[in-house]
Amino acid sequence: MEIGFRRYKDVYIVDVQGDMDLYNAHELKDVINKLLDKNITKIVINLESVDYIDSSGVGALIHIFTSVKRNGYKLRITNVHGSVAKVIKLTKLMGYFPIVEDVKTALQELSA
Amino acid sequence: MSHTKEILIDGKHPLFDKSGMFYKEFPSDYRQVRFFSMLIVQKAPAEIKEINLLEQQISELIKNAVRHGNKKDPDKKVRVWASFSTGHAHLIVEDEGEGFQQIEEWNQFNSKRNECFENHNFEELENYFSYRTPNSTEDDGGNALFAAVEYWDGGVVFNDKKNAIAVYKNFNEKKRPGIEISSS
Repeated sequence: MEIGFRRYKDVYIVDVQGDMDLYNAHELKDVINKLLDKNITKIVINLESVDYIDSSGVGALIHIFTSVKRNGYKLRITNVHGSVAKVIKLTKLMGYFPIVEDVKTALQELSA
Repeated sequence: MSHTKEILIDGKHPLFDKSGMFYKEFPSDYRQVRFFSMLIVQKAPAEIKEINLLEQQISELIKNAVRHGNKKDPDKKVRVWASFSTGHAHLIVEDEGEGFQQIEEWNQFNSKRNECFENHNFEELENYFSYRTPNSTEDDGGNALFAAVEYWDGGVVFNDKKNAIAVYKNFNEKKRPGIEISSS
């Protein structure tokens, strides 16, 4: 899994590439925790280039979202597709996670 | 109480009938869980849609056996029986551990979790995101079995010792488009 960063005004976009699985899901948690430590209050996790997620990856998203909420910060998860969407649907968390269609929509919502 | 799919405990359940299934065994090497899963799923017909999802679900079963069952002890084996067709996937995964003894507790937890979804009680739901035991680690997602009972629509059953899980998935076999020719 590779993680890249972009910034649009006060929003940090975290581009994830590769599999989010038992071997590396913790890396995303660590990265987001560092952003929260730096008081980054608006974060987008872009899963456009993630085609595989397992329970560790879903667990990482749960951890991230609960941490963001606890701090009163804002998160959007974008471009959830294919088997990633199917796995999240199986856990019934599709309606709970702040999932929006794409980065553009996320930026519009977080900038509002 | 909401209607929730449950994990059964029944070592004599038909899903533990190994007739016609192929067999593989693996060492409890956590680094190779997905490789082992791919070795299993490569026996599945290419016509199965969402083969990635099937591999992911098989990987969860093997991961649980290696991590929670065998405690990553390299001397302990994970045994897998499987059969596939365009209409089904059937697996039995057995480890050499003490068994998942909290199944009844897990079923109750999942039932309460589903009640939260049905009642849109997202505040309470946060207590039911992940099922954790005293042995759970930071890296445990704690949500694999929630997905498993939904995915394996033909059943999720543990044996009486609770160290083997049998699962069954039905795939919709759609008729190929074309003209149906009657023999009459």
